[in-house]
Amino acid sequence: MSSLRLDHVSKRYLIRQAHVGPAPNGLVARLRQRFAPAHVFWALRDVSFEVARGEAVGIIGPNGAGKSTLLKLLAGITAPTVGEISISGKLSALLEVGSGFHPELTGIENIYLSGSILGMQRKEISAKLDGIIDFAGVRPFIDVPVKRFSSGMVVRLGFSVAAHLDPDILLLDEVLAVGDAAFQKKCIDRVLELKRRSTVVFISHDLAAVQQLCDRVIVMNQGEIVYDGATAGAMTAYSALARFRASPPPRSEAVAKTAEVVSLEFLDRGGAPVQVVKTGDALRIRVEYRARIPVAEVNFSVFFYGADGTLHCQFTTWLSGETADLEPGNGIVEFTCEELGLQPGSYLIDAIIEQHGNNLDWQYRCSTIQVNSGRNVKGLFYHPHTWRETRASSILSGENVTADPGNHV
Amino acid sequence: MRALPAEEALSTRFSGRSTKNIRPPSFEPWRLWSAGRELLSYRDLLVTLSLHRLSVRYKQSILGWAWALVQPLALMLIYTIIFSVVTRMPDEGVPYAVFVYAALLPWTYFATIMTNSATCLVNHSQLITKVYFPREILPLTYVAAAFVDFLVGAVVLAGMMVYYHLPVTRYVLYLIPIMAVLSAFGLALALFLSVLQVRVRDIGLAMPLVMQVWMFATPVVYPLSAVPSRLRVYYDVNPLAGTIESFRRVLLQSKPPEYSSFAEASVIALVLLPVAYLFFKYREASMADFI
Repeated sequence: MSSLRLDHVSKRYLIRQAHVGPAPNGLVARLRQRFAPAHVFWALRDVSFEVARGEAVGIIGPNGAGKSTLLKLLAGITAPTVGEISISGKLSALLEVGSGFHPELTGIENIYLSGSILGMQRKEISAKLDGIIDFAGVRPFIDVPVKRFSSGMVVRLGFSVAAHLDPDILLLDEVLAVGDAAFQKKCIDRVLELKRRSTVVFISHDLAAVQQLCDRVIVMNQGEIVYDGATAGAMTAYSALARFRASPPPRSEAVAKTAEVVSLEFLDRGGAPVQVVKTGDALRIRVEYRARIPVAEVNFSVFFYGADGTLHCQFTTWLSGETADLEPGNGIVEFTCEELGLQPGSYLIDAIIEQHGNNLDWQYRCSTIQVNSGRNVKGLFYHPHTWRETRASSILSGENVTADPGNHV
Repeated sequence: MRALPAEEALSTRFSGRSTKNIRPPSFEPWRLWSAGRELLSYRDLLVTLSLHRLSVRYKQSILGWAWALVQPLALMLIYTIIFSVVTRMPDEGVPYAVFVYAALLPWTYFATIMTNSATCLVNHSQLITKVYFPREILPLTYVAAAFVDFLVGAVVLAGMMVYYHLPVTRYVLYLIPIMAVLSAFGLALALFLSVLQVRVRDIGLAMPLVMQVWMFATPVVYPLSAVPSRLRVYYDVNPLAGTIESFRRVLLQSKPPEYSSFAEASVIALVLLPVAYLFFKYREASMADFI
C-alpha cells in the first residue's frame, strides 16, 4: 500500500521581468511590466514515483534540481501545475524549526501555537507537554517570553515540538543540523525512532545523511528524476551529474560566463577515473574548463565539504603564487596529491574559477567523492608523515646536548 | 504506543483511508465541501490562533484591553461634539451619543475586519511559505478577534442604554441575524481582499481611505431617514446601509429591521461568501509562489 504517490507532476513558474532589475518609475511602465509576457520556467517536469508505507526515501540533487519545489508540493504549500499527488494518512512537514513562534509569548504558549500550526490537536499537545519541555531542556524558562530565550533554546524548543508530531508520513528538510552536538544526536535518534513507524521522505543535498537514514534514494536534476533506486547506486548517479552540468542550468544568469568549469573528475595514481578513494591514497583532480574570451590571471579552486557542510579542505592554484592565463576554448587544470589526508566519509565538491577576487564560475556541489578507510589515524585528518627511531645514547651524546642556547628563546 | 485513542478517532489516519489529493487549482464548486470539511478538522488551530491574536495584541501595553474601547468611544465623542454641539443632526429621538455609538459599534467591527485581514496573508508570509494549513484560518482569526472587541464594546453600549433609560425589547433578538449577515459580508470581503493583496499590494494601502469614504456613505453618523430619496438607490446597493441601520433600529427604535434593505444585504452577503471562499481556495494553491 503506497502512502505517497506522484502521478506525472509538473510545476511551472512564471518569472516576470519585474523580479529582475530595479522597479521602473511611472504608472504606465509599472503596468506594462506587470502584464509583460512571463518567462516560463518548469521547476519540475513529469515527476512520478510512489513511496510505500514504512519506506525511508532520500531525495538529493544539486541546487536547482527541483528539491525545494517538490518539498513544497508534498507539504501542500503550493499546488502542481499538472498532475496529481495522493497522500494517505497524516503528513507532517519539517521545513523549518520553530514555525509560528511568537517572541512575546511564553515557552508554553509557543508550544501550543507552534504545535497546532504543525497540525497537532490541543489535547495531544497537553498530553505531550512534559515530553516536549524535557526534550528541549528548557523547563526553568518555560513561563518566560521566548524573546528572552537564547537562540539555541529557541531552536531546541522548536525542534522539540516538531519531534513530538506523530505523523504517518514525515517530510524532512535539512533541519536536522540544529543545536550542539549532544542535541543533534538526540534529534537523529528521534528521527530514527520515527522512521520505525512512519514513512520518511528526507530531502537534502547531504548524501552522507541520506545514506544514514534512507533505504532508497531519488536523485533529481533540473526538475527530473535521473535515478531512483538503492542507496548504493545513488552515489554514482549523483557524481555523474557533475558532467551533465556542462550545459548551464536554466536558472543561471543570462550573461554567458567568460570562463566556466565544464567537468570535474577524480583520477587515481594510474589516471583511471575513481569515485571512491581511501585515506592516504594518491588522488588527482582533473578540472576541465571552457573560456569564451582570453582571461588573464585566474585561479582555480576545488573545495571538499563534509556531510554537515563544513569545509574540510581546499585544492587551489593560489598557493603556488602563480596564476593561469586562459585562451578561448577548452583546457584542463590538474591537481595532484600524493597522500590524501581526508578521513572516511562522503564529501561534496565545489569548484571555482576566480579572477582578482571575483568568481567567474562557481559550480556549487558539482560532484561528490566517497573516502573509505585506508591509512586511518585518530583525529580530524590523516597527516602524511614519516618516522625514524634513534638510540637514546646518541641523543645524550654529542651535539644534541650542547644545543644552541638560542633555541630556548 | 502510537497515540492516544481519542486522536485516532478524530482522524482516521491509522486506517489509511484519509487520502488527500493535491491537484492543480480549479473553480469546481464541490471544492467548497472538501474545503469546509478540512477547515473543520483544523478548528483547534483556529481557536489557538484566535486566542493568540487577542493575547499578543495588548502585551506590554498599559491600557491593555481598554484599547478595544478607545476607537469607538473616541469616534463617539468626536461625532457627538460635532453633531449635537456644533450643529444639529436628526437623531430620531434618542440622545445623539447613544444614537451614533449604536452604529459605530457594528461599523468598527466591520472596519477592523477589513483593515486587519486585508494584510493578514502578506504579514504571515513566513508561515505561508513554510507550513500548510487552510489559509482562510488567518482572516477568520481576525474576524474572531474583532468580534471579541465588538462584545467588549457592546457592554459599554448596554451601560449607555441603562444610563439613558432606553428600553430593551424583544426586537433585540434581531441582532443575531444582523450580526451574522454583517460577519458573513465582512468575511467574504476579507477573503477577497487578503488574497488580492498577495499580488497587488495597493489593496492594503488603499484600505484606510476606502473605509473612511465608506463610513460616510453608510448611515452611521446620520439616520437613513435623513437621506434624500433620489440618493436612496446608492444605499440599496450598500449592504452595510441595511445592516447598520437595522442594528440601530432594532436596538433604539424598538422596531423590526427594514425588511427590504436587510433582505437585500443578506442576499448579497450569502451569495458573496461562497464565491469569495471558492476564489480564495483557488488562489490559495499558488499563494506561496507569489507572496
